[in-house]
Amino acid sequence: MAFAAGVDVGSTQTKAVIVDEAGVIVGRALIDTGANVIKAAEDSFLLALNEHEIDEEEVEYVVGTGYGRYRVTFGNTQVTEISCHGRGAVHLFPNTRTVVDMGGQDTKAISVSAEGEIVDFCMNDKCAAGTGRFLGAAAAALDIPIDDLGPVSLRSTKPIKISTTCTVFAESEVLAWIGKGKKIEDILWGVHKSIASRSAGLMRRVGINDEITFTGGVSRNLGMVRALEERLEKPLNISDDCHYMGALGAALFALDHVLTGRTPVSTVSGVTL
Amino acid sequence: MTMTATRIFTEWRDKSLDDALLECRDMVEAPDFETARRWREAGGKIAGHFQVYFPEEIVHAAGMLPFKVRGAPLEANQADSHFGSYLCSILKTSLELALSDVVEMDLFISHPICDAARNLAAIWGRNVDYPSQILYLPQNPNSSGSIDYLTHEYDRIRRVVEEVSGRTITDEDLQNSIAVFNENRRLMRELYEIKRDTPWLIAAEDAYALVALAGMVPREEHNELLTELLPKIRERDNKPEDRIRVVFEGGFCEQPPFDLIRMLGRTVYVVDDDFLIGLRWITEDVPVDGDPLGNLATAYIEHSSYSPVQHDLRKPKEEMLKQRISDAGADAAILAAAKMCEPGLEEQVAYTHSLDDAEISYFLSEFEENMSSFDQLELQVATFVEHLLFA
Repeated sequence: MAFAAGVDVGSTQTKAVIVDEAGVIVGRALIDTGANVIKAAEDSFLLALNEHEIDEEEVEYVVGTGYGRYRVTFGNTQVTEISCHGRGAVHLFPNTRTVVDMGGQDTKAISVSAEGEIVDFCMNDKCAAGTGRFLGAAAAALDIPIDDLGPVSLRSTKPIKISTTCTVFAESEVLAWIGKGKKIEDILWGVHKSIASRSAGLMRRVGINDEITFTGGVSRNLGMVRALEERLEKPLNISDDCHYMGALGAALFALDHVLTGRTPVSTVSGVTL
Repeated sequence: MTMTATRIFTEWRDKSLDDALLECRDMVEAPDFETARRWREAGGKIAGHFQVYFPEEIVHAAGMLPFKVRGAPLEANQADSHFGSYLCSILKTSLELALSDVVEMDLFISHPICDAARNLAAIWGRNVDYPSQILYLPQNPNSSGSIDYLTHEYDRIRRVVEEVSGRTITDEDLQNSIAVFNENRRLMRELYEIKRDTPWLIAAEDAYALVALAGMVPREEHNELLTELLPKIRERDNKPEDRIRVVFEGGFCEQPPFDLIRMLGRTVYVVDDDFLIGLRWITEDVPVDGDPLGNLATAYIEHSSYSPVQHDLRKPKEEMLKQRISDAGADAAILAAAKMCEPGLEEQVAYTHSLDDAEISYFLSEFEENMSSFDQLELQVATFVEHLLFA
């Protein structure tokens, strides 16, 4: 049995996925990226191998993705996370035509074909509004763990409206609402709705088509899922593997090479003809 | 002293090709415009001309240095107070060059290319102690009177330059300058032939630097530079790589940061572009014989490139872009516009509709001359390339 792997070095967390020849996930790992990006890539890969007790030699091809894709030193080539999220989303949910990938530093809206090819995409500009960072700022201001943000927000009964779109100012606005005696859950739901609104705007730029798959680290936040679904008035495809979608897509590109010899071409160091 | 014999950029001489190109990049990237300072120190006078096109031959014929004012990688600390925050960066950093004495000039000339730039000459003139003039290129180049009009307008500029330089500009002076610039136009065309035919022989940022130097040194000196380096570039034994060939459109006025061009060059082959198109505006040799100002005016009307700030019904810009893509054998286009640039952003609409109809892939983006982070843009360009490679 041959295996292929994808390693997604994100700004906050690094994910690794191993797939078998049928494209089934047989190993996965997730760790904090930290300051040593190369080590994070290596550690996540080894952890994913351990899950299924696969020898490193059995993995025939490795694709790196994410902002640190060029630091996957043991990888064979690199593919951007936008291509990988699109590919992974269509693999898990074949009717996916729109992907929203919300990560720690940026949000991407991706339009994909039935084959998982990218049709169009756009991402947030320099500003971190509408990304996981915005949630992080709110969590810091409210002094609650990031993992609790979603569940707490879903208890809201009287949501407040967050007017700022700036992550830097979000913290002070949250503190101002606390000062006015508003409940934490109502403030948090307002934060989620604000991000959903920004993300929906991004998605409209590439076209919102059924089905929509929500990927990236923030997809684990049930409050964000609900806020986006309400905003889009559509259900979202969600899975426990959505956080691994970039790594899964990378592993599928790697599997292409294992099965067909087709090499995903690195876009920076070109292949000499 | 004959100023045209003065050499103000010598660092590249007697060096290997790679080292010479490194010197060119360093000179273009530096925010202090060292060549202008050297020219002044040698006793020369400078006429700064703002984007997009200016008939530099008129300034050259007076023995002055035509200096392309194209913004700068510096903070517009003083100039910021003269413009609204909603205006493009190039206006502010260009004025900053004058207000902070980075480039000392003797004359400034602009053309009202857009709503923002039409006020530049007046603001400039109120804040410096040398003349600031507006060159009124024809609004309607399709009019039968446009060549006559422009010839007279060039003559007015000739008299302005004569006054500043203290020297009479004869027709013979102008004809000599036209000949020098014709040689430069030929060499620039050759540089772009290399880009189109063998893009692996020259990096995108090196080609850019070679063009930009034309606006910073006397043309005779630029001719010497290209005459020596172009054959060496052709002799390189670089191997072609499997890269997408793109045309970059959107560099006609505000310039993308050098690092952005470098990033593009790592990812794709930029086989044609409109970077600093004003320095390459006239597409054919200008006749040396006959009325020189009339010949320059005719060349502007009849034998010129295109940009979003010239409205010529014979040259629909979207058709010109498709022609540029076709001539360059490009796979796709990168349509960029400077932030807050009305003409550039407006043209993107026509460009995208036209390329959609022609089923030519394109990547749409904005830039700012002082942007310093390119990670997101590089990710998007790389994804665009993957989209083309995997399709």
